[in-house]
Amino acid sequence: MKNTFTQSMAWLHTWGGLVFGWLLFAIFVTGTLAVFDKELNHWMQPEIPASGVSQADAARRAIGYLQTHEAQAGNWGVSLPTERSPGLRVSTGDRRHGTAVHLDPHSGEAIDVRDSVGGNFFFRFHFTLDLPRNWGIFVVGALALVMLAALVTGIVIHKKLFKEFFTFRPNKGQRSWLDFHNASAVLLLPFHLMITYTGLVIFMLIYIPAGVDALFAGDNRAYFQAQGNGRLEQPRGQARQPGQLTDVVPLLAQAEAALGPISGFNIRNPNTAGARIEIRPELGNRIALSKGQAMVFDGVSGKLLSDVTEWRAAPLTQRVMVGLHFAQFGGYPMRWLYFVCGAISCVMIASGLVLFCVKRGRKYATASADASARRWYRVAEVCNIGFVAGLLLACVGLLWASRLLPVELAHREGWEVRAFFGVWLLALLHAGIRPARRAWVEQLGLTALLCVGLGVFGGLADGLRQGVVACAGVLGVLLGMVAWRVQHAAPAPLKGRAGRSVEAGA
Amino acid sequence: MMMLFAGGVLFAYAGMLALCQGLERHYKQVWNRTCPPAVRRVLRAAGWLALLLSLVLCAQAWGWAMGPVAWFAVMSLAGLVLVMLLPYWPRLAVGLVGLLPAWGGLQVFA
Repeated sequence: MKNTFTQSMAWLHTWGGLVFGWLLFAIFVTGTLAVFDKELNHWMQPEIPASGVSQADAARRAIGYLQTHEAQAGNWGVSLPTERSPGLRVSTGDRRHGTAVHLDPHSGEAIDVRDSVGGNFFFRFHFTLDLPRNWGIFVVGALALVMLAALVTGIVIHKKLFKEFFTFRPNKGQRSWLDFHNASAVLLLPFHLMITYTGLVIFMLIYIPAGVDALFAGDNRAYFQAQGNGRLEQPRGQARQPGQLTDVVPLLAQAEAALGPISGFNIRNPNTAGARIEIRPELGNRIALSKGQAMVFDGVSGKLLSDVTEWRAAPLTQRVMVGLHFAQFGGYPMRWLYFVCGAISCVMIASGLVLFCVKRGRKYATASADASARRWYRVAEVCNIGFVAGLLLACVGLLWASRLLPVELAHREGWEVRAFFGVWLLALLHAGIRPARRAWVEQLGLTALLCVGLGVFGGLADGLRQGVVACAGVLGVLLGMVAWRVQHAAPAPLKGRAGRSVEAGA
Repeated sequence: MMMLFAGGVLFAYAGMLALCQGLERHYKQVWNRTCPPAVRRVLRAAGWLALLLSLVLCAQAWGWAMGPVAWFAVMSLAGLVLVMLLPYWPRLAVGLVGLLPAWGGLQVFA
């Protein structure tokens, strides 16, 4: 037990931060990249043309294709081209078990698009860590609690929170690292707290199911129906009689007038008297996350059957918190704010991890320290490199894999994911066999080169892909500067890797 | 929208700068002399006022639901930029506030 309250808090912050910081860094990096998941999807599937086709034309072509090829299917799904994802995609069957086909929005013909996990991988990894079943969700939830604890203990042990609010002293070794860690944490504290807390709220029913268990006997569906999210009863008899499908375009216009931009629609029991058209809004029309909401129209008469539900205060509160985390609202300026704030969170965590080693380097890196302490110090150092630089390398490695793996490869998505984890593992091994500073420079340098090099794959005629390449280029240059600075940091052992935080914060 | 957003960023930066310069050690860091108490009071008041204006501009750009979310992000990021500039180019950090009149001019004449 430590002597004082502050010392206990410092102990918790140091060790909790180190041991869980490695995975937290991975969660924050993938979460930050997931802000631009659709853009990354588009970049990773170069066969999808940039559209410029109106949603009405695209919808007509999609229905034309489905009438020709899938007239008997029980359910049609259509994802329309939007600002962020210009592809046109049609699917049949369930949302989970269906098959999807990409169409050329200009001609309405099917096009071959390579299988790719896309930016969705970052999104999924962000809350599952690619673990099976629900385990990842629980692990990430536990890590979010640790993050909250680290934030609170960090506030407690930061004695000069207001006095050093604007303080950063570069080129002073450990002092600079601590200053940067403090400044990036304190100035972005609203963001750190918000993103961590709202992250926990998303899966509140998984983490704390007691309420639903007690009131609805554990029946989540009954709980959602009580919120007014119930699906309309499907008219079973009518679904067997043939019917003439109404034109969907005026309905799209009607829904757009009510809900804002539209992301796509579903037609249940098409070509029957019981056809239903469900039109989904884009997620970003308001803060509250509108996932699962739709306006439902009769597929034959075109009559509005049910509008989107108005949430009551409690579910609305939860939806708004979830929406704050998903960052789908407010257009590109807001998206960039989230991206930059997220990136700074990552650097904040990384600077804390490095600080751990900078602080102890003098004591343990020398031959005079006892062997076991030196070994543990080395483990921390290797993990720092492998989980910070190595993860960044793995992320850009995934982008390269999506373009380099043969298009016709079976289970291509699986190989992309293997490439991601393979690169990460190699980076950890590399960190284990190289001297620490060399390992930092080599991994950061390689990451920088791969980021800048994304342009070689072409496809620059398309604004979205251009944006991805340009953004990767800028990040690559920044990482390159960090690598350069580590390489040329003053060799004086006392001030080891001084000043690196400067570029990292840029 | 982009003009309002830019205004929100600039006012947030100006606010953070004024609050920062209202502190003894940072005023000294830039000007190498102590800050007269009257100036300090003006700087602090101006700082809070600029932050409020930034909120208004963010709300104009996004509405009062999303505006405050953007406002927090803009304040945080402006503060961090200031903290990173101060030790390297203190005069530049102060000079950046000159973008504010330029923005105002654009608002009036463009």
